[in-house]
Amino acid sequence: MATNRSGASQRPNGAPQTKVCQFKLVLLGESAVGKSSLVLRFVKGQFHEYQESTIGAAFLTQTVCLDDTTVKFEIWDTAGQERYHSLAPMYYRGAQAAIVVYDITNQGGAGVCGMRAIFTIELPTRDTFGRAKNWVKELQRQASPSIVIALAGNKSDLAAKRMVEFDEAQAYADENGLLFMETSAKTAMNVNDIFLAIANKLPKSEGAGGGSAAGARRLADGEQPRSSTCCK
Amino acid sequence: MNHEEILSVVQEKFLSSELVTAFLCDAKVLRPDCIKKDRLLAIVEYGDEKAVFCLFTSCYPPKSFTDLSIEIVLPIDNSFKCEIDNKPSDPEAILYLNLQSRNNKFKFEIQMTPRVDNFVDDLFRGIEAVNKLPTQPEFVWLKKYDGQKEDDFIAQTMVLPRSGMAHTQVSAPVAIRESLIKRKMSDKEFDYTFTKRFTIFCGTWNVNDKSPVIPLKGWLCVDKEPPDIYAVGFQELDLSKETFLFDQTFREDEWYNAVRTHVDPRSKYVKVEIVRLVGMMLIVLIKEKHMSHVRNVVCDTVGTGIMGKMGNKGGVSIRFDLHNTSICFVNSHLAAHVEEYERRNQDFRDICSRTRFVQPNQLPKAIKDHDQVYWLGDLNYRITELDPLSVKRMVNENNFGPVLEWDQLNQQHKINNVFAGYTEGPITFKPTYKYDPGTDNWDSSEKNRAPAWCDRIFWRGDNITQLAYRSHPALNISDHKPVSALFTSAIKIIDEEKYRKVYEEVIKQLDKMENELIPQVKVDITEIDFGTVRYLELQVRTITIKNTGKLPVEFEFIKKLDESSFCKDWLIVEPYKKCICADESCEIQLKVLINKTSACKMNAGTDKLYDILVLHLYGGKDIFITVNGTYQRSCFGCSIEVLVNLNIPIREVPVGKLVELESKRDQYISNQSTYSIPKEIWFLVDHIYLHGLKEPNLFEQPGLHSEVLQIRDWLDSGSIDPIPGSIHSVAEALLLLLESTVDPIIPYNLHPVCLRASTNYLQCKQIVMDLPEFRKNVFLYLCEFLQEALQHNAENGLDAKTLSTLFGAIFLRDNPNVVQEPQSRINKQIIDKKKAQFVHHFLINDHSDLIFTK
Repeated sequence: MATNRSGASQRPNGAPQTKVCQFKLVLLGESAVGKSSLVLRFVKGQFHEYQESTIGAAFLTQTVCLDDTTVKFEIWDTAGQERYHSLAPMYYRGAQAAIVVYDITNQGGAGVCGMRAIFTIELPTRDTFGRAKNWVKELQRQASPSIVIALAGNKSDLAAKRMVEFDEAQAYADENGLLFMETSAKTAMNVNDIFLAIANKLPKSEGAGGGSAAGARRLADGEQPRSSTCCK
Repeated sequence: MNHEEILSVVQEKFLSSELVTAFLCDAKVLRPDCIKKDRLLAIVEYGDEKAVFCLFTSCYPPKSFTDLSIEIVLPIDNSFKCEIDNKPSDPEAILYLNLQSRNNKFKFEIQMTPRVDNFVDDLFRGIEAVNKLPTQPEFVWLKKYDGQKEDDFIAQTMVLPRSGMAHTQVSAPVAIRESLIKRKMSDKEFDYTFTKRFTIFCGTWNVNDKSPVIPLKGWLCVDKEPPDIYAVGFQELDLSKETFLFDQTFREDEWYNAVRTHVDPRSKYVKVEIVRLVGMMLIVLIKEKHMSHVRNVVCDTVGTGIMGKMGNKGGVSIRFDLHNTSICFVNSHLAAHVEEYERRNQDFRDICSRTRFVQPNQLPKAIKDHDQVYWLGDLNYRITELDPLSVKRMVNENNFGPVLEWDQLNQQHKINNVFAGYTEGPITFKPTYKYDPGTDNWDSSEKNRAPAWCDRIFWRGDNITQLAYRSHPALNISDHKPVSALFTSAIKIIDEEKYRKVYEEVIKQLDKMENELIPQVKVDITEIDFGTVRYLELQVRTITIKNTGKLPVEFEFIKKLDESSFCKDWLIVEPYKKCICADESCEIQLKVLINKTSACKMNAGTDKLYDILVLHLYGGKDIFITVNGTYQRSCFGCSIEVLVNLNIPIREVPVGKLVELESKRDQYISNQSTYSIPKEIWFLVDHIYLHGLKEPNLFEQPGLHSEVLQIRDWLDSGSIDPIPGSIHSVAEALLLLLESTVDPIIPYNLHPVCLRASTNYLQCKQIVMDLPEFRKNVFLYLCEFLQEALQHNAENGLDAKTLSTLFGAIFLRDNPNVVQEPQSRINKQIIDKKKAQFVHHFLINDHSDLIFTK
């Protein structure tokens, strides 16, 4: 005799829901283009002029509320140095979203001194945009086919020293079906927006193929060939 | 660790004045969204006061009190309740312990062990003792655990189940997050809800087995405005045996339809739910326009009749959420018979404790877990202390006051024996029982009992006002009169805009908390340079990981993609996995040791002294640790073919050259090669030949490791000084050198043939004759030398058997890359014996003919 009408919606009549979709997002790009700074701005609203180099993969979470769902990002901010390149698949495999970052001045780390400089002199001539394209190619080849990729041209506050034209990057992004924005971790320009754009683009409804929160998680499980080879 | 040892660890967590009187390991906390393992339950006594603690152990068994954190504190006061259930699927082994104290309720799962009895005894002693105390204890000593508890609790719900999520997704976090959001949102309810008043009509009627032959308008439709909600309860709907036994009755539809027909026609109503147990039926209707705000409708029935189970007495209930307010209606028919008020009290308590509203993914809700409860029914309480005649006289004069004072329910309610926390409005109507059916006359049967207010309506909850409480004597088909009450109740409604704001705030807070709780460590060095690393020379570096976060951190070095191990085989990391408490540090030793396997790879250029380790923090980030070094190449780990082609010391050979030589080692033939045997072997053998043949215990006494390393350097650098070290060290260096060659002297593929031929000297000889040239040279050269050594057995104590065993194992060294079938020890002994046998022939027989055939 018991009936249960706790249907799909948590709240009657479109009141906000507490449904949380969880997605893994990875940041890739040359070192010193501002990956960690973007995350720090997005998660904590802070900016450090002398951001320490990431040696490993930093992990943070941040939630954005959309109209109908709440999207929780698990953010993996990877080390940009070339010697850690081979470890990147550990982080982009199973990721539902990626932000590939370059430096619009193309001189990542320019003007940075001290300890940071030691880590940024690995490549004498930096082509952070070219490097970003390589990351996009690698993601298209190796990552989940449904991964949502955003291209971020960071350091837009340094437009005076611009080496990569907006239109060039936009054209490249359009060609490859990427979200694209020029961002500035320093001024916060477009930082929330790019994450929000990704959140909006990620499939959330059951019908859209991405599945609900649970679906998103299952997807992640299924795409984690690593679970059998690591953490054992 | 035994029970007493763990007890002493647990005791350390508390002050010495706070005594741990009992505890249980292996407890689990069952929460609606998760199960938390590795909990420990302890009863702690301070003076007269006792409390139950639930502790989390970061490692089991806890080695130190720092492994324990307090998660739940339940003071044993007079609100404390303990219910014990068996796990239905496993009643022998698992118990459920439901503990409740001051509105905190927890369910624990515990293993059935002999300790459980002690624990439960102690618990009940505590409950008994506290109920005997004249004043309630204050539990001042628990205050210090309070803050700790909340922090730890949140920390653990947030962090621990997430462990490893970075690399192996677990599903718990989302569920936990959702339930945390729910909890936080309900704490802040006032910030985003406003209230609106709803009118609620509650009616109850014991219809004494009658059909609805009269209109119900005079009961259900008497108010100025149509109510928003109707909750209508019936008792004794059908007294037939069939209904009692099979719970089937046509009356359900009859009365339901009658109610539907006679509710206020000015509004349109829809059914929320209907529930019936034997003769008890409860119908809840709501105005159609509100129905979309009704959620989570669940009903339950509890029988308290015969054997405490049957449904002739008991209660039926319906719960639902209306907007943001949870509402529960209960219709009960309590035990009959005038004197049995204790039994009725018991029925009430049974209905309270046994009614369970089960919803998916949630802990079952009880009646009291609702914002508003409306309890109606034939509660059957009577008036026994007054003479029936004077009762009738007084009620006929509408002088209810003196009679109501003797009403059992009023009396029991006053002393909180029943309906504690519930309210009843003042009674201004005549008793509703017992009448001659069809009349307004008191029951004329011989029993001659006092009339009584059997049919009553109680409520519980804030912001509820009773507008009317009355009986409806005109409806006279039963021996009871129907009763109704009208309420106006505040229902919390969500302001969507505010809700969103609060929700986003809560999310922000959770994010912040979660990010703060992400494990944080400081690693002092992430680049480790071992400098020059030499063969067989262990080098150790230490890195220190300091836990700079607030919680214990578990780290582990994890495998990279497609790799079978988290580091190269020449590296040892100790410990590679550990839990570090907050503010503590852990030293990790990284040891590099190049043995023959890794030396071969280094010489062949297939490996180098470089690795990146991934140090993973469970629930947190990864840190890359780069390991670097320069391997100083050595004649150890080279192949015989390469060594015979090196006419300069190996250290002077350019790196690429050695790699090239190793890659073409199968192509060398004698006339192009520099030596017929490797010069390094010759140096060592010749040294022993010249200076050590008479050395006692030759090849049996080990050398000094430091001298072996000096000899290694002497060989590798081509020194012109005399060979350093004792004869025994030289002999050991020789054995190590022979063992380290890329292949054994006799190639792996010939081993089965050798073993088969081991008893036959001629066959063995044939095999040796067919060996690749340099192998044959080394083999015969060494055998010749060993024969020489045996000549001096009087001094050096050697015998052919020992030597053949020793060198058999070297010449016919097992292939480490071939996974051997699990060999029994006997099998291995047989094989070793055959190897020795094979070599033995060449130690006792003259094989100069083989040498001269060259």
